[in-house]
Amino acid sequence: MLEGVPIISIIILMPLIGALITFGLGRYGRYARYVALAFSLVALVLSALVAFVFVVEPDSSSPGYHDGGGFFDYQFYEEHTWIEALGIRYIVGLDGISLPLFVLTTLLSTLSIVFSWDTKLRPKEYFGLMLVLEVGVLGVFTTLDYFVFYVFWEVVLIPMYFMIGVWGGPNKDYAAIKFFIYTHIASLALLIAIMAMYFQAGANSFGMEDIWRAGQTEFARMFQIGVFAAAFFGFGVKLPMVPFHTWLPDAHVEAPTAGSVLLAGLLLKMGGYGIIRVAIPTLPLGADALQLVMAVIAIASILYGAMLCLAQKDLKKLVAYSSISHMGFVLLGYATFTQLGVTAGVFQMFAHGLVTAVLFMMCGVVQHHCGTRIIQSLGGLSKKMPSAATMLTIGFLASLGLPGLVSFAAEFMVFVSMYETWGLWLLLPILSVAITAGYYLWALQRSMFGPLTKEIDTSDVHDIDWFEGVPVVVLIALIAIFGVFPLLLFQYIDPAAVTVINLLGLPGGG
Amino acid sequence: MSAVSYLETFLPQLVLVLFALVMPALDYVFKDKRALAWVAMAPLTALAAALISWLFLGWWEMPVSRLQLLEVNVFTGLFTLVFLFVGIVVVLGSPEFILKDRNQGEYYSLILLAITGMTVVAQATDLIVLFVGLEIAGISSFALSGFRKREKRSAEAATKYFIVGGFSSALTLFAISLLYGVAGTTEIIAIQPVFAGVPAGSDAGPILILATVLLMAGLGFKVAMVPFHMWAPDVYEGAPTPISGLLAAASKKMGFAALFKIFLIGLIVTKTDWQVAIGALAIITMTVGNLIAVSQTSIKRMLAYSSIAQAGYLLIALPVATQYAVAGGLFHVLTHAFMKSGAFMVVAAMGAVAIGEKLDDFKGLNRRSPFLAIAMTLFLLSLAGIPPLAGFASKFVLFSSAVYWSFEPGEGWLIWLAIAGVLNSALSLYYYARVIKYMYMVKGVSEEKVRPPPMLVVSVVFAVVMVVGIGLFPGPFVDACIAAAERFADLPLGWR
Repeated sequence: MLEGVPIISIIILMPLIGALITFGLGRYGRYARYVALAFSLVALVLSALVAFVFVVEPDSSSPGYHDGGGFFDYQFYEEHTWIEALGIRYIVGLDGISLPLFVLTTLLSTLSIVFSWDTKLRPKEYFGLMLVLEVGVLGVFTTLDYFVFYVFWEVVLIPMYFMIGVWGGPNKDYAAIKFFIYTHIASLALLIAIMAMYFQAGANSFGMEDIWRAGQTEFARMFQIGVFAAAFFGFGVKLPMVPFHTWLPDAHVEAPTAGSVLLAGLLLKMGGYGIIRVAIPTLPLGADALQLVMAVIAIASILYGAMLCLAQKDLKKLVAYSSISHMGFVLLGYATFTQLGVTAGVFQMFAHGLVTAVLFMMCGVVQHHCGTRIIQSLGGLSKKMPSAATMLTIGFLASLGLPGLVSFAAEFMVFVSMYETWGLWLLLPILSVAITAGYYLWALQRSMFGPLTKEIDTSDVHDIDWFEGVPVVVLIALIAIFGVFPLLLFQYIDPAAVTVINLLGLPGGG
Repeated sequence: MSAVSYLETFLPQLVLVLFALVMPALDYVFKDKRALAWVAMAPLTALAAALISWLFLGWWEMPVSRLQLLEVNVFTGLFTLVFLFVGIVVVLGSPEFILKDRNQGEYYSLILLAITGMTVVAQATDLIVLFVGLEIAGISSFALSGFRKREKRSAEAATKYFIVGGFSSALTLFAISLLYGVAGTTEIIAIQPVFAGVPAGSDAGPILILATVLLMAGLGFKVAMVPFHMWAPDVYEGAPTPISGLLAAASKKMGFAALFKIFLIGLIVTKTDWQVAIGALAIITMTVGNLIAVSQTSIKRMLAYSSIAQAGYLLIALPVATQYAVAGGLFHVLTHAFMKSGAFMVVAAMGAVAIGEKLDDFKGLNRRSPFLAIAMTLFLLSLAGIPPLAGFASKFVLFSSAVYWSFEPGEGWLIWLAIAGVLNSALSLYYYARVIKYMYMVKGVSEEKVRPPPMLVVSVVFAVVMVVGIGLFPGPFVDACIAAAERFADLPLGWR
C-alpha cells in the first residue's frame, strides 16, 4: 500500500494548495476557515494513514530506502535533483523519529484551525498563514537534504512573524520583531555550520547521508567541535535553552492562541529534532566533547524554567516558561547518548506537543471568556465554567507528570537514562518535579478554585465553546491513550533511536 | 578577422546606440508618450531574448570572439543580460512616473545610452575602453538624475553625482595611466605577466601600490564602497525613482564588472597586496550600510544604504578570488538587480499614485494596495536573504565561497567575511522587517484604495516573477554563473 505514491510530497502539498486558495479567496474571505480545515484535515488523514502503514521495525525487505548498514532506513522515500551544480536534492523520507513529529504537525495544525474557528480579523490571511506554517514544519521534519532543510526551516519564520505581529496582543510589534531576529540569527549560525560541513565533506552533496559518510573520515575533532557549537546554538535557540530563551516568553504571550499552540507544539520541536537528526549523529566527536555542556544547559533549563514559572502572574506566561523547563528534558535525554535517552527525548517532544497545546488552548479560553489571564484577578472560575476548569486541571496534571498521562512516561525514561549515565546527579533535575507540581497546583488553586473573583465582571462568563472544546478533548484523549499505552509510540521511536546511536559510533551506546 | 565577427562583438552596443539616437526625434512623432517606452523596450527585449536563447536555452552558439578591445563570452553575456533586465524594469516603470515631464524622448535615449556604456564595461578587455564605458554610462546617469531640472532635489542630486563621479573618474584614469606607465600596455590581460615579474623593492612597487589604491577609490565611488559611499543616499533620494533603481541595480553592477576585471585579471598576481584591504573594506561597507539604514526615515535613502550593504557582500568575491566566488558574485549581481530595481519600482508606483516616498507612507499599504504590499514584502525578504527567494540562493553561493576557501592554508581569515555577511544579513532584517510591519500591521492615515498604473505593475510583476523564480529554480542560473566564472579568468576553482 502506498508504494510508488509520493505520499509525503502530497501531504506537504495539501496545506500549500490550501494556503494559495485561501489567500486567493478575495471577498469570499469568510469561507477561508472551511478551506483551511478541509486541506489540513486531508493532510491529517493521509499522515495517519502513513503512520498506519509505516513498518515499525524496518529490514532490508521492507519498502523504502535502506543503506544496508542499519544507519539509514527511511520509508516513503522520494528523491529528485533540484540544483545539480551544487548537489542539492529534494529528498524526503520518514523514520521512527520524524514520524511522530510529522503526525503531530498535521494534528496540531488541524486542531489549531478548529480552535480559531471564530477568528474575525482578516481570516483569509490568518488561515492561509497557518497552512504555510504547516508546510514549513512538515518540510523540516521530512527532508533529508541540508539545503532544503534550511529552506523549510526559514520558511517557518515568516508566517509566525505575521501571526504574532498582526493578530497578537498589545505588545505585538516588539515581540514579533524580537522573535524574527532572534531566531533568524540562530538560523544563520546553523547556515554557517551547514556550509562548513558541505565543503569539508567534499562530496558535492547536501544529502544528510552523503555528508555523514564523508564526515567519518573528513571531519577532524576540532572542526567537529566548532561546527557542533554553531549548529547546537542554531537549534538550541529554537528549543529554547537557557540562556537563549528570552524570545520565547515575549513571543508566546503576544501570539494569538493558535499561534502559541503551533509555536510551542511544533516550532520548538524543530530545534529538538535538529539536534538529534543533524548535530549529534553527524558531528559525534563534537557532541562527545560538548556532552557535559549539553547536560548542564539541559539541567539549567529544567530548573531555571521551573523557578521562573513560580514567579509568573500571567497564566499564559507561566505555561510559556514551563515549556523551557520541559524542553530541557528533551535535551537531557539526548545528552546521555543512550538509546533510551534518545527515545525518551523524542517521546518527550511528542508528549510536550500534546500537553502544551492543551494548556495554551485553555489559556486562550480563559482570556476569551474572562478578558484577562492574570492569575490574581481570576478565582473560583470552576463554578462558572466547570468543563473548562476540568480540562485545565487535566492539562496541568498531565504537564506535571502524573502517572498514566503521556508526560510521565517520557520524563520517567529521561530520568532512568540519566541515572544510568550520571548516577546521583539525577537528584538535580528531579527537584524540578516538585517545583513543577508546586507552580501548577498553586496556579490552579488561585485561578479556578476558591471563592469567585470580584476583580472582573463574571456575570456573562460562560463555559467553553464547542470549537474550543473539541480540539482540547481530542488532545486529552490522546494524552490519556499514549499515557496508558506508551508502547504505541515507543515502538516507532525505539528502533530509530538505535540507528542514531549507530550513527554516533561512540562506545557505550546501545 | 572578418568584418562579420567584428559586428557580433559590438552588436548590442550598435543596436542600443541606434535606438538611443532615434528616441529624441520620436518624441515629436508620438502624441501618447507611453509609446516611447515601448520603442525603448524593443532593443532591450530583443537583445535580452537573444542572450537568453544563447546562455540558458542553448539555441545558438556565440562564436567566442575576442578583439583587442572588446570580447564576448559567457561572462560578458551574463553581465549584459543583467543590465538589459534592469533596463527593461526601469523603462517599463518610467512612463507613468514621468507622465507630465518634458523631454521624454531624451529620457529614454539617456537610459539606453547608460546601458550601452555598461555593456561596454562588461565587454572591455582594455583599460581605456573600460574607462570609456564607465564615462558613457556615468555621463548619461548624471543627466538622468537631473532629469527634473526644475526640482531642487533632482538638480542637487545631479550636481552632487556629477562632481563625485567626475572626481572618481579622474582617480580611475590616473590609476590607469600609472599602470600604463609601469606595464607599457593598457590591455588588462597583458598587464598581468608584467606585474608577476616586478621584483620586491623595485621602483615599480610603490607605483603599483598607488595605482591599486587609486583604483580602489575610483571604482569604490562607483560601487558605493565605504568610505566612498556618501553620495549614494543623496543621489538616490533626489533622482527620479526609476532612475534611482537604474543607479542602484545597474550602475553599481557596472562598477563590479570593472572591479572584477581589473583586480581578478589584471592585478591578480599582486593579490596579497590588496586582498586584506578589500576584505576589510567589504566588512566595513556592509556593516556601515546596514547600521545607517536602520535609522532612515526615507524609503529611498534606506534602500540606498541597503544597496551599500549589498555592495559589501559583493566585495567578498574579490579577496576570495576563486571561480566559485566570482560565480557567487555574478549570481548576486543578477538577483540583486531584480530585487533592488523591483523595490524601487514599488516606490515609484507609490509616488505615481501620490502616496509618497517616506517610510511612514508605507503604513497600512496593505489596505490601499495589497499588490504593492506583497511585492515589496517579497523584495525585502529576498534582500534580507530569506529562502526560498532569489536573494537567499545567491547569498548562499557567495558566502559559501568564502567558507570553502577559508579551508586553504593561509586563507583562514576569509571565514570572517562569511560570518560578517551572515551577521549583517540578520541586522538588515531589522529594517526590512520594519517596512513589512508598517505595511501589514500599522494603520495608515488613509485607507483609500489605490490602483497602481498598469505599466508599473507589469514592471513590478516581472521583477517578482524573477525573484521568486530564481529562488525556486536556481539551478540554471547557478550553472550559467559557474560557466561564466570559468570563462572569465584563470582562477582556482574554489569548490568541490
